[in-house]
Amino acid sequence: MRILLLIILSCIFFLPQNTSAQKITVTYSGYPIDPNIRKDSSMLSFLSSYRDSVIKSMGAVIGFSTTGLSKHQPESGLGNFMTDALKTIGEQVFGQHIDAAFVNYGGVRSYLPKGNITVGNIFELMPFDNVLVLQKVKGDSLLSFLNHIADKNGWPVSGITLAIKEKKAANILIGGKPLSTDSVYTIANSDYIANGGDDTNMLKVFPQEKKGYLIRDALITYVKLLTEEGKPIDAKIEKRIVYADQ
Amino acid sequence: MPINRRKFIQQSALTGGALLTSSIIGKAFGETNSSKDTLTILHTNDVHSRLDPFPMDGSKNAGLGGVAARSTIIQQIRQETDNVLLLDAGDIFQGTPYFNIYKGEPEIKAMSLMGYDACTMGNHDFDAGIENFATQLKHANFPVLLCNYDFTNTPMEGKSVPYKIFQKGNIKVGVFGVGIEMKGLVPDNLYGNTIYKDPIECANTTVDFLKRHGCDMIICLSHLGDKYDDNKVSDEILAKETYHIDLILGGHTHRFFPEPKKYLNKNSGDTLVNQVGWAGLQLGRLDYNFDGKKKKNLLKANVVLIGGKIGK
Repeated sequence: MRILLLIILSCIFFLPQNTSAQKITVTYSGYPIDPNIRKDSSMLSFLSSYRDSVIKSMGAVIGFSTTGLSKHQPESGLGNFMTDALKTIGEQVFGQHIDAAFVNYGGVRSYLPKGNITVGNIFELMPFDNVLVLQKVKGDSLLSFLNHIADKNGWPVSGITLAIKEKKAANILIGGKPLSTDSVYTIANSDYIANGGDDTNMLKVFPQEKKGYLIRDALITYVKLLTEEGKPIDAKIEKRIVYADQ
Repeated sequence: MPINRRKFIQQSALTGGALLTSSIIGKAFGETNSSKDTLTILHTNDVHSRLDPFPMDGSKNAGLGGVAARSTIIQQIRQETDNVLLLDAGDIFQGTPYFNIYKGEPEIKAMSLMGYDACTMGNHDFDAGIENFATQLKHANFPVLLCNYDFTNTPMEGKSVPYKIFQKGNIKVGVFGVGIEMKGLVPDNLYGNTIYKDPIECANTTVDFLKRHGCDMIICLSHLGDKYDDNKVSDEILAKETYHIDLILGGHTHRFFPEPKKYLNKNSGDTLVNQVGWAGLQLGRLDYNFDGKKKKNLLKANVVLIGGKIGK
């Protein structure tokens, strides 16, 4: 009661102050930069020489998507495509079995369009020069990494299925088998995540196997591989990560 | 200390199509916009190397953005309004192949051509290394503002300044910048020996200096992010924990604000925060109207009314 009175009194004291304060009114807008706006010709000519060489090096068509892929949580076709690429190509590059591959959700920087997929699309999807890293981690640390992923509302995963229950990972299956906290698993990540980026400190203690192989190159190689096999880039949602209470 | 008395001037309604005609706000408003007592702030954030519009591939943002269209709008607004400040809140780099190939040169040159008055830096501006960032800034004809990184003994030493004061008509505007903590966000080798300092403390010191130097209005360019679930420092916290910031133009979190947010600052005045998403999909605009009469001994706290949306 005393506190309430104090609050009321403070309001009374503050009111006259505010009424005599400077008054400003602001109007605002966010102009959409839409295609109907005339393009500044001097800017276009400035850009043209840069653009020509970008198109030359980025324009090569390496695949095709009938659906187009975009990012979503807790799971998306785009995320499944990316992590499948890291697992599949990672196994080729490192010559060993990988139990699970991951991409942090914030690291998915773009989408893949419906139709032709170019090298440039992959550069936009993965603009960073991060390299692929393998780590052999104990099951208990993997569990804490998966709990982190659940807490962040789900990251792209390959080789694993789980449910998010009260911000934690539940019903975890790795290669179809329940996670064992005593087992050692081989996981693939970008060096950014393996080094503790995006609050993944639990991974930092584990030694890293690296070959200087770019994540982006794994994605490009995987698109080319699927294309050679006559497959479109149409990864689907497969209930790799679900919300337990839905 | 003389302080401008800010006065409410309602912007008249405009049709949506006005944007595409020669007039954006129009000479029809006459004195209001040619007055020495108005300030138009244009801003972008997290443009992420989006020099060209998104490709016409049927995706959500197809055809949107691009510096050539943005440049046209900026020129039109500058023709129709006297006192314009064009500002960017960082993450200029990274996101399209332009950056992978040219490491930021065309991005900075385009901003110079558009006549940016100042920017701050974002974490991704270090993506090709601190030395590259310093190198690309040679193409900038505008200052990079930041008050909470210590760049001593790094390639960025002497390449940024904490603040800049602009005289726009009768209005003296102090603009400064704050940056996000890079540890854990940016690989250590990319930012080298840069030392991060508390943005609230640095902001208050800078703002105090700007006020003592007679700034009528203070703008903070921030790459802290608008707000977080935990107590990580953000624009929201910055707004509440500082004195005298009139406006925070934010970035990092890629949020499209439907309208500016208003917070009560430490001085019991109002601080606005705005952010316009990312990729140059929008050009933000805020019009401040001031009354030319200077009155002494008024309280310093500013009460801000968020008026109508321009063009509605």
